Amino acid sequence: MTGDRAGNAISARQIYMAYGKTEVLRGIDVSMPQGQTLALLGPSGCGKTTLLRLVAGLLSPTSGEIAIDGQMVACPSLFVPPEKRGLGMVFQDYALWPHLSVAGNVAFPLEMAGINGAERQARVKAALDRVGLSAMADRSPSALSGGQQQRVAIARAIVAEPRIVLFDEPLSNLDRELRETMVAELGALIRGLGLTAIYVTHDQSEALTLADQVAVMEAGQIAQLAAPEDLVEHPASPKVAEFLRLGAVLSLTRDTGGWSYGGHALGPMGGPEASAAEVLVTPRALRIADFGTTALSGEVMAVQYRDTAYAVTVRLNQAAPAQTVQISSDTRMRLGERIGLEIVSDRLRWFPARTQAPVH
Amino acid sequence: MARAREAVSPSVVIAAAGLVVVVAVPFLFILLQAVFPHLGRGSLAAPFSALAGALGDPKLIGMTGNTLLLGLLVVVLSALIAVPLAVARALFRVPGAVIWDVLFLIPFMIPPYIAVLGWIMTLQPRGYLEQLAGFDLAAFLFSVPGIVFVMTLNTFPVVYFAVSRTVETVGSRYADVARVFGASPLRAFWRVTLPLSTPGLAASLLLVFAMSIEEYGTPAALGRRAGFDVLVTAIDLRVSDWPIDLPGAAILSLVLVILSFGAFLLQRWILTRRSYEATTGKPQDAAKRDLGVWKFPVLALFAAVAVAATGLPLLAILATALSRTISGGLTLANLDLSNFSAILGDTTGALKALGTSLSLGVAAALVTGLLGALSAYAVVKSKVRGRGVLDVLTILPNALPGIVVAVGLILAWNQPWLPVTPYNTALILLLAYCCILLPQPVRYATAAFHQIGDNLEAAARVFGASPLVAFRRILLPLIAPSLLAAMLLVFAVATRELVASVVVAPVGVSTISTYIWRQFEQGSVGLGMAMAFITILITTALPLIVLSLMGRRGNLL
Ligand SMILES: Nc1ncnc2c1ncn2[C@@H]1O[C@H](COP(=O)(O)OP(=O)(O)OP(=O)(O)O)[C@@H](O)[C@H]1O
Ligand SMILES: [Mg+2]
Repeated sequence: MTGDRAGNAISARQIYMAYGKTEVLRGIDVSMPQGQTLALLGPSGCGKTTLLRLVAGLLSPTSGEIAIDGQMVACPSLFVPPEKRGLGMVFQDYALWPHLSVAGNVAFPLEMAGINGAERQARVKAALDRVGLSAMADRSPSALSGGQQQRVAIARAIVAEPRIVLFDEPLSNLDRELRETMVAELGALIRGLGLTAIYVTHDQSEALTLADQVAVMEAGQIAQLAAPEDLVEHPASPKVAEFLRLGAVLSLTRDTGGWSYGGHALGPMGGPEASAAEVLVTPRALRIADFGTTALSGEVMAVQYRDTAYAVTVRLNQAAPAQTVQISSDTRMRLGERIGLEIVSDRLRWFPARTQAPVH
Repeated sequence: MARAREAVSPSVVIAAAGLVVVVAVPFLFILLQAVFPHLGRGSLAAPFSALAGALGDPKLIGMTGNTLLLGLLVVVLSALIAVPLAVARALFRVPGAVIWDVLFLIPFMIPPYIAVLGWIMTLQPRGYLEQLAGFDLAAFLFSVPGIVFVMTLNTFPVVYFAVSRTVETVGSRYADVARVFGASPLRAFWRVTLPLSTPGLAASLLLVFAMSIEEYGTPAALGRRAGFDVLVTAIDLRVSDWPIDLPGAAILSLVLVILSFGAFLLQRWILTRRSYEATTGKPQDAAKRDLGVWKFPVLALFAAVAVAATGLPLLAILATALSRTISGGLTLANLDLSNFSAILGDTTGALKALGTSLSLGVAAALVTGLLGALSAYAVVKSKVRGRGVLDVLTILPNALPGIVVAVGLILAWNQPWLPVTPYNTALILLLAYCCILLPQPVRYATAAFHQIGDNLEAAARVFGASPLVAFRRILLPLIAPSLLAAMLLVFAVATRELVASVVVAPVGVSTISTYIWRQFEQGSVGLGMAMAFITILITTALPLIVLSLMGRRGNLL
């Protein structure tokens, strides 16, 4: 199967990983070409860090194969230790060595590669310049702010010019503003150096901004692997849609008169030929109407100002367990205001009914 | 098919090998000898035959009873002395608090066998007390209360430091909260501070108990005349005096190990179950109250204890060391430096003993430092299978009294079929010191490793460091301050270790402790005390100075 791997910077085949009896990864298949960025996106505990550590060689899989640049690094008969894999990595907690200066931290990968003297100094300086920290080379990492420590970790990851860099939620410890500027900087850096990157995050906007491909993980499996725009337009399952916070997923049933929700008829609306289905209702699929004129109605629960419009959370009157939907409004609405909601059928996205559908 | 995974790190392999040689081998041979009485002749005949006889022996029961009694009495007296001092130190503004701390740390750092010699010089007939006050207290000293008294002066600092630290942190963190919610100072103490401090107190008392049942010098010097035999002295008798009784020694050792292990497990259980010693909370001096009218009585108490524990024995040792002859007594004319010049002139082999002990101390510090760091790494950081076994091996020496280690080493390395053996070389002393003192570096290194995030090592590996390089460049420097403190302690204790040295030192090799012990037995008390004084300077003052420069006074305990 070597041909399969040729040309791929990283490929993982049928990775299973268990800590003792608990299976954390269950049959992961990913491969990514040179120079691309893959985002691993998923809720806490789904196995993102585990997958990254498997690629780095900090763990070895229970079964399955991993190859880097076409070279097998983990398979039943072989295990290449991390120091022989030639990767760069940015850790979630930065993992800067507190007993080494900033420059000492950044110089370490070069030292391990046997690069000494003037060349080492020059490359450390270049790496620190790139992240704008050359003035702080002699400081101790503990005397830096969170964002600066983050940059040191990035400089250390790129200084030895690895072709592949692994990022484990590199921005999750930063506040939102800093995170937004750093996402842009990181994107520029990755493209500028032509890096192949795996980027772990649980923030969907980070993933969608940075990645060429996004792998949405769920409970140890990859639920969907797609380019960002495909992911948003065509989520593969209600779960993926929910995780990406694209909108509300409602369970509908169908009878002769068309679809109905919680016993309230909504009309034909298209959709699959089935007696039940799930539908993704994005904010763009709803229009505000006067109360009492539509089949669907609700009460305003929360109003948030975002960018140029108000994001309004509406609790549906028709749902037995509470169900909210999001809409966007140009005007500020009162809390508790009752409004009607009109469904734009061609903006709905349909899924087959879940097997364990909620009872009603 | 076995899957390829990362090879076991060399650090773990070295740790495992070291632990087997230093800890497992001597312990294993005690067990074997206790079960197979003819092990010494290379025979496994008649298993358990000696065990049954020995365990029913009323003498053994008596000695075990004596050992327990001694431990309990020392615990009670230590608590009586230390707890009031510690509570006063923790909750009130005691003038000169830091000086009292240092004065109470010194007796812990002076080996009890040296202090006991000072007490003998003071309280024996025609001793310093009689010369100054006209009466002697020999009857008190050479009795069970005397033994308990001398040993307590050595052990009470353990309780003092543990309790004052806990009460201080608990007082400032939790008791003040109780006061905000309406408790009076006294109620806050009874309802909050005291219950929260009990685990710390209990754990320190168990440590005192373990120290007391292992102690050799004091019962050996004072107990014989009183006919008071404990397990340690009985074991010593069986391995050093004719007729040698190795099976008997092994069985007594096992009994001692069980007592000691019990105390240790209980201590660990208490600390892990309910430890409120806030590791992050810094004791605050600001919140302390004034002693008011109690200022002078409390100061008098501190001073009395400091004089008894530190002043008197040190002065007696110095006086004896400076006396030309003992019979000359405490007169100006009798004072000179002849004992010190005899030591420095090396007419009695003193310098050689000093050199031997200092080199063994340095070697023991290096070996236990390295082994301690590697084993703590294997237990805390590595994911190696079977690290539970390594954990047990690092804990085991806590329950192995010096005399037991010595017996184990004799049993293991004096087997006739061994082609080469460290027995009868100075190396056997090194093995003994390493086994006895290994717990210190392990404890310090374990605590330090727990504070190091796992990713620091992982990052080094990803950036190209092999397991050994990552250990040397990243982990070792990070635990170095703690490890250094522990190694200093090992050096200090190993250089004057008595019981294992007495038992396993080869013919012709003398250490500081065997030198002092022998001078005392031969009647050259002045020489012995001069040596003791030099030893205290080297092994107590030096580490204290270095440690206080590193800012860890008191944390030693
Ligand atoms: N050493 C371990 N032993 C046992 N289980 C573990 C271990 N490390 C991780 N796990 C479990 O494996 C699962 C996946 O962990 P992992 O760290 O990969 O999650 P993650 O997706 O990175 O989560 P997060 O977003 O919170 O970082 C979790 O359920 C975790 O409890
Ligand atoms: Mg993670």
